[in-house]
Amino acid sequence: MIELYAIADDPTPALPEDAGSLNVTAYGGLAAIWAPAAERAGARGLAPEDLWRHEAVVEALMAVRDLLPVRFGTRLADPAAAQAVLAERRDELLAALDRVRGAAELAVRVVAVPGAEVDAATAIADVHPPLAALARASAVRRGTGPDLLRGAYLVDCGAVASATRLIAGLDDALPRLRLLCTGPWPPYSFVS
Amino acid sequence: MTTTLAASDVTLVDLVDRLLAGGVVIAGDITLAVADVDLVYVSLRALISSAESVQVPAMGEST
Repeated sequence: MIELYAIADDPTPALPEDAGSLNVTAYGGLAAIWAPAAERAGARGLAPEDLWRHEAVVEALMAVRDLLPVRFGTRLADPAAAQAVLAERRDELLAALDRVRGAAELAVRVVAVPGAEVDAATAIADVHPPLAALARASAVRRGTGPDLLRGAYLVDCGAVASATRLIAGLDDALPRLRLLCTGPWPPYSFVS
Repeated sequence: MTTTLAASDVTLVDLVDRLLAGGVVIAGDITLAVADVDLVYVSLRALISSAESVQVPAMGEST
């Protein structure tokens, strides 16, 4: 079995020398990047380290290529199966790659400061419009638990620094809210 | 009781949101069994729900 990490353009830059077990299977201008599947987490359960290890691979790949990250834990029987996926979904995947080309994802969650009573609609109205203006695309929803808002913003790589400065500025300017920003991430929220 | 939400915890929540609920979906043999996902979310939910009153570091601070 093989485990998929990402889909990129073909031809794709050579994989790094320390890439270990990474391989490329190409079809129709697309490249599926994968590794032989390791033993399943199974009985021992899934640990954050498993996710971080996977993410580190995807981020290293993204450092030198545009890509669509594949959902964690996606396994196929063999490289031929990966090629079949590329063939079957070629148009969709090419279009998705074009949409995320040269961009990264910023995650923004908004929580109320302890003791402050703020509703989700207010948080969204205060935070979302200025961020949306900076972004190529956005995916925002009301949060759960302490989160008033969960947002993902697709931002040109060259604009990530100014976007994070904007977010820090909003955090300062909105004393009843705390903005939690992480990233830049591969564009997990913008692949379809 | 106040809980300080460490920067690493913030990032882990966003990581899980992305890797397990985002990305290209391919109808293969998804390694992640429902039980595995539940394990991850249970531990995260305990983290989040235990924070009745959360002190979150301002951007740029470390905890």
